[in-house]
Amino acid sequence: MLAEARWPEDGDGTPPALPGFVHSPYHPLVAAVADRCLTRRYGDAGALPAGNRTAVVLVSAGGDTAGAAHVRGTVAAGGRVGPLFFFQSVPNSVAGHIAARRGLDGPVVCLSPSGDPRAEGEAEADLLRYDGDAAQALLILIELAPDGTSGEATAVLLGEGTRP
Amino acid sequence: MAEREPVRITGTHAVSALGRDADALLSGVLAGTPAFGPVRRFDTTGRRVTVAATLPHVGTLADELADAIDRAGRAAGLEPADRADTGLFLATHGGPHTLPVPPGAQEGPPVPALVGHLAARCGLGGRTRTYTTACVSASTAVADAATLIRRGDLDRVVVAAGYLVEPDQYALFDAGRALAVDGAVRPFSAGRRGLLLGDGVAAVVLESAGAAARRGAPTLATVAGWGRAGDAYHPCQPHPGGDGLARAVEAALRRAGLPPAAVGYVNANATGTAFSDASEAAALVQVFGERVGRLPVSSTKSVHGHALEASGLLELVVTVLALRHGKLPPTAGWLAPDPDCPLDVIRDAPRPADTPHALSVNAAFGGANTALLVSAP
Repeated sequence: MLAEARWPEDGDGTPPALPGFVHSPYHPLVAAVADRCLTRRYGDAGALPAGNRTAVVLVSAGGDTAGAAHVRGTVAAGGRVGPLFFFQSVPNSVAGHIAARRGLDGPVVCLSPSGDPRAEGEAEADLLRYDGDAAQALLILIELAPDGTSGEATAVLLGEGTRP
Repeated sequence: MAEREPVRITGTHAVSALGRDADALLSGVLAGTPAFGPVRRFDTTGRRVTVAATLPHVGTLADELADAIDRAGRAAGLEPADRADTGLFLATHGGPHTLPVPPGAQEGPPVPALVGHLAARCGLGGRTRTYTTACVSASTAVADAATLIRRGDLDRVVVAAGYLVEPDQYALFDAGRALAVDGAVRPFSAGRRGLLLGDGVAAVVLESAGAAARRGAPTLATVAGWGRAGDAYHPCQPHPGGDGLARAVEAALRRAGLPPAAVGYVNANATGTAFSDASEAAALVQVFGERVGRLPVSSTKSVHGHALEASGLLELVVTVLALRHGKLPPTAGWLAPDPDCPLDVIRDAPRPADTPHALSVNAAFGGANTALLVSAP
């Protein structure tokens, strides 16, 4: 393991809003914990050099429950959802946000675990590294609270390391 | 024990608006007649677009998936004892509220429970996993299953994937102005206006050469190579130069031990979206160079629609069937060439398949890209 971070840690409040993502605490929480983990490894240096083959593996059983509930309620009531909900409607979107901001050009994989989330995520990271499509993997574990408010997230950078 | 033999495909099943089995899928894509029509499954009042490619009668997604898994298993000749150690990798939409709700229930089954439900129902006792990687969910599941089989971790995996057109995703795509307002999908063509959604439920049995040989199971095709790569470019838009997709294709070729010149057909991701199709064309130009103008390419989304998480598996089945039957399916909706897509797009009628090697490529939000290299046995 190269770095690990959680949100919340001591002193944390609500994660900062994420431009382009609305309504749900899911995406700001994912972005905040990922950024914290990568900053612990690389500092706040922006994007990694091209060819780093860093995968983003996002593991969440519930997914964006807050966003899905909003869409379902709006559609059931005969309303129109806002266009930003389309762009954030799959977990890939926020994974892609992280990948673009930090230049992570390995595979993007999102899983919905039925067993231990960390074990499933680590197995996927191991598989991608074994196969060679990834040199290292940023594993993100995220679940919102049952009422759809911000929950907990963990990010772990796994692998033998890409130079800062 | 790890083996270098290509991973075998020994059974397939597919359901789409073209019909309820692989034969219907093949005849539908070869006919090239789009299956789009007015959506009657739910109310589309107030939507900009009101068409999709849907079956007239469908069960719940869980029922349709269970049926597809069972039929693919039977097509592969799997006995109950074979199923007992077979894994199930499922590709479907993340989030608990977007599955069809069975009669009398308040909610559809939550996604993590669905794979266990399906495995128990179909007698599959091996490892399970659920992919929610948007439009590369199924193709990523195939790549991962192939890796685990080739590494020797698993002998056999059923990859299953399903999307049935439903009101929430439909409303989201409509709100995002992603749907084609002219009611047609026109991949790589000038004047393309966007995508249209379509039903897709598919299952594919993958196994090691040794496991297939022990059962005496015929091989329909092999997954000779696979690749996955990210764009690192944008949350939703693909890299304009197709960088991630090109790296995914190159990885698939490398794993198969084949040069680009060996590939004789590409089943494209092409959704009919202006920016995305141009990006995909740029990726193919990167990999195949000048030869790209003589490499037959088609996008069968123009006929069966975009099945989202299931699209990669539906299109893998199409690619397998095309190689087996020696005919490459056409692309519907063509209007005129687009200089940003300098490809040899098959249109109007099928072409003879004079190749043993084909690629099925897919791309998704988040800059996620996959390539599967399919070979005749």
